[in-house]
Amino acid sequence: MEELMKTLKQQIVEQLNLQHIKPEDIGDDQPLFVEGLGLDSIDALELIVLLQQKYGVKLANPADGPKIFHSVRTFAEYISQHRTK
Amino acid sequence: MLYINGTVCISPQNTSDNSVFLPEVKPYTGNKIYCVDVDYTKFFDPGSIRRMGRLIKFGTAAGMLTLKDAGVETPGAISTGTGYGLMDVSQKFLHNVIDSNETSVSPTSFIQSTHNTVSSNIALMSGCHAHNNTFAHRGFSFESSLLDAFLLAKEGYDNILVGAYDEVSDHSYRSMKRLGLLREEPCTNTELFTAEQKGTIAGEAAAFFLLSKEKNENTYGAFAGCKTFSAPANADELKSITTAFLSANNLSANELDVVVSGHCGDSRLDALNEALIDSLFTQQTILVYKQLCGEYMTSSAFAAWLAARIMKLQSIPETLIKVNRQRQPKNILLYNSHRGNHALLLFKHV
Amino acid sequence: MQVYVAGKGIITAIGNNVAETLQSFRKSKSGISHITILPTVHAGTLPAGEVKFTNEQLAELAQLPASVSRTGLFSLIAAREAINDANIPHLNKWRVGFISANTVGGMDHTENIFKAFHEDHTKADLSDVEQHDSGAVTGIVAEKLGIKDFVTTISTACSSSANSIMYGARLIKNNLADVIIAGGTDALCRFTLNGFNSLMILDDRPCTPYDENRKGLNLGEGAGYVVLVSEKVAETLPKKPSAKLVGYANANDAFHQTASSPEGKGNFLAMTGALAMSGLPHEAIDYINLHGTGTLNNDVSESIAIQRVFGMNVPKMSSTKAFTGHTLGACAGVEAVFSIIAMEEGMIFPNLRWQTQMKEVPFKPVTELMTGVEVNHVMSNSFGFGGNCSSLIFSKIK
Repeated sequence: MEELMKTLKQQIVEQLNLQHIKPEDIGDDQPLFVEGLGLDSIDALELIVLLQQKYGVKLANPADGPKIFHSVRTFAEYISQHRTK
Repeated sequence: MLYINGTVCISPQNTSDNSVFLPEVKPYTGNKIYCVDVDYTKFFDPGSIRRMGRLIKFGTAAGMLTLKDAGVETPGAISTGTGYGLMDVSQKFLHNVIDSNETSVSPTSFIQSTHNTVSSNIALMSGCHAHNNTFAHRGFSFESSLLDAFLLAKEGYDNILVGAYDEVSDHSYRSMKRLGLLREEPCTNTELFTAEQKGTIAGEAAAFFLLSKEKNENTYGAFAGCKTFSAPANADELKSITTAFLSANNLSANELDVVVSGHCGDSRLDALNEALIDSLFTQQTILVYKQLCGEYMTSSAFAAWLAARIMKLQSIPETLIKVNRQRQPKNILLYNSHRGNHALLLFKHV
Repeated sequence: MQVYVAGKGIITAIGNNVAETLQSFRKSKSGISHITILPTVHAGTLPAGEVKFTNEQLAELAQLPASVSRTGLFSLIAAREAINDANIPHLNKWRVGFISANTVGGMDHTENIFKAFHEDHTKADLSDVEQHDSGAVTGIVAEKLGIKDFVTTISTACSSSANSIMYGARLIKNNLADVIIAGGTDALCRFTLNGFNSLMILDDRPCTPYDENRKGLNLGEGAGYVVLVSEKVAETLPKKPSAKLVGYANANDAFHQTASSPEGKGNFLAMTGALAMSGLPHEAIDYINLHGTGTLNNDVSESIAIQRVFGMNVPKMSSTKAFTGHTLGACAGVEAVFSIIAMEEGMIFPNLRWQTQMKEVPFKPVTELMTGVEVNHVMSNSFGFGGNCSSLIFSKIK
């Protein structure tokens, strides 16, 4: 899980082009959206693409996004349960 | 007549700072030239800048800097023009669609790909809820937005932000190459006009103007008129269209001081400009500008920025001068064409 | 100065011309179907309002070479119908303009040649390269129509053709032109289909605008144009114009690049601006042709803004995008033609497939075709990305 979270932080920074943030600065439990990292609805769509490209998980309903993408930890937990690659 | 109360241009030259006026020309070798970036972190927060394509950054920045130059926080309306639109992000998106066989497509580039991205970005940043238009009609894009502004002024609007912008994208560059518009031999922009040659260099810029009904201490001059027309059959027809345009604006050719000509460095195309100058403008100072910004669909906006700066400073940078007749730059005519789209713009010193 | 509507022309998934369109409305026949013409991996899964003609068939209809982009073919077919319908005597003695709108230009051709072109730029057909940009499409059609005086293209996302109609009207009112063919065109292409799909706002069923359970929009394609004329031209017409353009406004939401503000500020400003220009009280509006894309965001913002403008007494309203899909740069041109048909025929189109009341507003759209209705004033809304919001108001000439 620790390893997956570390990789995920790098992938998030890359996918969202977060030039001003270093992967290691993102806390495992820090909220990614609004008051946390400040991501928005477009970023949520980008994370859906990331999920599909890197882990082979297709998220059909964007409404599921907020729960899954709440933090790096919740994101990693979801991936480890559903990944196909 | 509308007064130019603010103007800023971001181009391949150092043009974004109005405290200087082309003190030197930046040389580039090759057949495409790109804008000199300004510090975009001054305009955009890190959260939004990370998503922006190049044209969105330099287009929006030029618009916002123009508002600042004019001391206007929120314009009364916004009207802009762009020939190719947001081509760089469009091609990025298209690569993504095709490479992933439509299965894994990232939305960010698509969101920015609509032609109105820059004008709506400026509306968003300046809190402008009023009229907001974007024209995308090749060599008439800027002129259409200018006509829009003239109509708006009659309809009760004031402090209208107009401008035009285009970028050199991989796709537009390849297209110009495929259409045989570019120099094949390596060329330095400063030597664009030194020899008889075929082809031009691809360029880009964003130039904006804050147009008002009242003049103030920051006024550069005035836009007095604009005419667009399709390719004239020959030089005589061009001459009569130009004469008619001038007389519609109560001017004779002799009353003009400066003619800014859209020579592009392709002697086949420049022949028409030469013929017009030889037949009507033998007493005027003749300026050329595409050695500075390159050729692109909305380059007349760059030339309009030059005219505005010249009117205000009442001096002409050496680098622009093709023929010098030592006239004070009061009445300035711009003639430019882009592949069948011809335009005349008239400027008056005030 | 009044601006009259002297003619109209249209092609969408529900008909190649005004007569066929009217037939589809009379039968409440939707044009939403599986994609069969556009080559895309989404053909079986994402329905759209596709015009069921190949480019070759359209080219024959348009009398243009099949090398012209689909966007251009639609444009000429609809613009020519509009001009023929107006039947203006001695058209060439007037100052005539063609103000068109589109969002994708020749993208349908570009995406076919793109890969090869970027590997080797000498590989692509000149005409495909030449007609990529939005203005190129307008230029090809204007040349075929022989229009020279005023030709330009507006591209403000989904409000594009409302703004072209507005610009045309303003040229006439300011006595710069006498006759303007105004509207817009757009063809389905993989660029927009995948773009909207990446935003996850496409419905995988036929769309249900203004329904509580709506899932998103279906894209459509086609073109719609009206012929706007000055009073002086109107007097010479053999067929009396049936409508006037009495109000319009272009406003910006200035809220977010793609989403509408929750209270629909731009929508509100567009509708109130158009009403103010028309001089009509809001009670006079008999029908609103909604922007009504079927996305969660648009339909909520638009309906809240409608409630702010009209209070509890809202006019009859429907989204015809349930018939045609969202035709993007063409939609306001298409829906301007629908607005005029509504007045001429005394007809209000149903908001097809509507079932469940939206919880945010107390009103519902018209769900069954209404005929024999007196429709004197119609408002048509078009709102787009970048917060571009425009409303038009047409009035019937009795």
